[in-house]
Amino acid sequence: MSKMMGGLSRRDFMKGMMVGGVAAGSAGLLSACGSRQTVSENLSASEETLEESASVSTSESTQKETAAESTHELDTSEQVNLIFYVMGDAPADEVVVEEALNEILLERLNATIDFQFSSWTDWTSKYNLTLTSCGADLIYVANWMDYGTFANSGAFAELDEMLDTVAPTLRDTVGEYYLDMMRVGGKIYGIPSTWSEYTCPGVRYREDLRQAYDLPVPDSLENIEAYLLGVQENMPDQVLMTAGSLDGFQISFAAASVFNIKYPWVTVNGLPYGLGADYDSPSEVYDYWFSDDFVEDMKLMKKWADLGFWSRSSLSEANNSDAFADGLNVLEVEGLNPSKYVSSVTTFAEDHPDWSAAYIAYGEVTGVMYAGHATQNATAVVHGTANEERALAVLELLMTDEEVNRLVQYGIEGVHYEIDGDGYYQGLSDNFTYEAFNTWNLRNADYRLYGESDDLLNELFAKYEEIGNQTKFPNVDIYSGFTEDYSSYSAERSAVANVMGQYLVPLQAGLVDDVEAAVTEFREKITEAGIETCRKGFQEQWNAYCEEYGYL
Amino acid sequence: MKIKKAKTTILLEIICYVVLGVSALACVLPFIIIISGSLTDNATILKEGYSILPKNITLDAYLTIFKAPQDILQAYKMTLFYTIVGTAVGLLMITLTAYVLSRKAFKYRNEVSFIIYFTSIFGGGTIPWYLMYTNVLNLKGTTFVMWFPGLMSPFLVILMRTFIANSVPDAITEAATIDGAGHVDIFARIVMPVLKPGLATVGLFLALGYWNDWYRSSMFATSSKTWELQYYLYDLLNATTALKQLSQYTSIASVDLPTQSVKLAMAVVVTGPILLVYPFVQRYFVSGITVGAVKG
Repeated sequence: MSKMMGGLSRRDFMKGMMVGGVAAGSAGLLSACGSRQTVSENLSASEETLEESASVSTSESTQKETAAESTHELDTSEQVNLIFYVMGDAPADEVVVEEALNEILLERLNATIDFQFSSWTDWTSKYNLTLTSCGADLIYVANWMDYGTFANSGAFAELDEMLDTVAPTLRDTVGEYYLDMMRVGGKIYGIPSTWSEYTCPGVRYREDLRQAYDLPVPDSLENIEAYLLGVQENMPDQVLMTAGSLDGFQISFAAASVFNIKYPWVTVNGLPYGLGADYDSPSEVYDYWFSDDFVEDMKLMKKWADLGFWSRSSLSEANNSDAFADGLNVLEVEGLNPSKYVSSVTTFAEDHPDWSAAYIAYGEVTGVMYAGHATQNATAVVHGTANEERALAVLELLMTDEEVNRLVQYGIEGVHYEIDGDGYYQGLSDNFTYEAFNTWNLRNADYRLYGESDDLLNELFAKYEEIGNQTKFPNVDIYSGFTEDYSSYSAERSAVANVMGQYLVPLQAGLVDDVEAAVTEFREKITEAGIETCRKGFQEQWNAYCEEYGYL
Repeated sequence: MKIKKAKTTILLEIICYVVLGVSALACVLPFIIIISGSLTDNATILKEGYSILPKNITLDAYLTIFKAPQDILQAYKMTLFYTIVGTAVGLLMITLTAYVLSRKAFKYRNEVSFIIYFTSIFGGGTIPWYLMYTNVLNLKGTTFVMWFPGLMSPFLVILMRTFIANSVPDAITEAATIDGAGHVDIFARIVMPVLKPGLATVGLFLALGYWNDWYRSSMFATSSKTWELQYYLYDLLNATTALKQLSQYTSIASVDLPTQSVKLAMAVVVTGPILLVYPFVQRYFVSGITVGAVKG
């Protein structure tokens, strides 16, 4: 019987796999969705008289008055229903908020909007299919969702002209500085959030333990070691670090992220394939895996593993994001950002008032700090739908009108949230929580509401901004603006991924007997897998990118 | 009198029992761990890992699920609906198709068979499939599209056809024809009564397929009201991982993510009912699958 079940589920699984494969390759097909409709729409729009639109324009918000002359009037004679495709799951009060929103949108732009939620299951293929079938008018885009690749393949509408004609206020609000970061091949395809945040990774540790045992602040490799040894000595049963293996082409074992404190390019969006480049000279790429530094670093990892900083069975352990909050470890070096630190401060205050957390961003040590790239949270207009211009106008309203922006981000004031005496956001309902539509891309720094814990975050951001302003490319995340197109060497790339999983993971986890021999073996295998092809392909694109944006 | 077994026979039996026992254990153990994990306190799971017998037994996980049960009940209701409607309609369509294909009197049966076979090897792929349902038929977001695409599969049609061909010899239908029975009579009064094992087999395949499906919800659902139960569960797990990764890139409001024990309790709640179906149809199932397969 179980064999039967196995057979069935395996078939389903295969189906899923095939789907994934097909969808991944569908970017090329995107133009199938075509611009046919747009052309006819533009024609009919220009044929219709201006009389109708003139009557509408009076009801259009005061927002538009500033740029009224140069704009051509948006034809809003016909009611359109737009779909805004966002990530994640829908809140319980989706319809309630949509209705409130549509009331305003109908009046101002004769449009309604329906938020459609991707849900996180298999979202990459669904995202592809939605774009292929023109299943949405507005869509959430981000660098980690291949914004650049999709823009290149014509999935999104070019916004340069449309911004001037339809949404000049939006253009002013966002500003050219951020819009320029959205450019792909010289064209703007997305409108970023105007709230810039720092997602700088760092070290999170237990300040109460550090003080109790009089240990050094873990702000360097030596001090981290001393801190961990000190905790180990005083609390022999305490687990020190929980770390697991990672996917991706930068780091294969979580604990190795600690080298970020030494090299600023060891980051989520840093250079892949064992390459490095200094922030001040990004186009001068150098080799890390074949360098002596790499051997030294791996020796340190082995030393730490032998000291018992992480369990020998770490590789088989599932990552547990609550570990720090539950006191199951005392130091974390991977996958962190300031807001995660702030949330652990809040959790500690509630659950363990005698514990305290502290955070050191790697950038504070290395001096390389930058705000999140504009492409991290943005909105694009899907190319080929009938209502590209109206969609952009709606986006303008959603982002630049205080009332509308707060409605879409926080729900109905008095029902879902309220602003307390000190000006803080207070949630009132579980049916529509903070940013419940997952529209991180609609954040407007001017209208954004903060909770009390955000004070700490804003303090940190101010500190980081100062550091960021002193770098050679002030506050620009040069790594994240880059999108790698690996289609011509995808076979080598997956071979490299396999070798990393098999040889680099144990090396970085310090689970090898002889580091030098293991490094030699890793280097042999990775060369056989075709690392040179990957590096060459990557470097060509990287250099072109650096040149285009002037990161030289 | 007892017949004394030869030593080799005994040895063989021991080996068989050991091998079967170990494989049976391997099948059952994960399930026991799920049940025991669902009854364990979450902090204990995080500290000590999973165990075969639950430590610090608590019903908290189940209480959490049923504290706000409307979502899971809705998913349950929809899955039951899809399973019942899909299995009933699917069985009817498959049996009718199979009956026609099994009749030698049907002139184009090879051609039609080929067309059905063909789709089991070559398909249009996901994108045309998706575009057909969303852009041409405009079925995205409906409940119809959740069960309709799963109605027939070439494998089940062939299984059923072989089964009918074997269990209803042409002589019987010929005799019925001479007695004046039409195809409707033959199908309803002669073929159907002997089809029980076949129906049970195909029915179970269909029902399992519907019960375990999450893919159609993933592709076509626009509201969580139409979600299938498996998708509800699957999405909960995926959301946890996705949000964790996402929070590296951008600050997002903290979300209540399900704990380990809640996830396991959900797995129990979701798998339970379909397990109960097995004992009732197993009898037919075994004979059905062998008849269908061996003589195929």
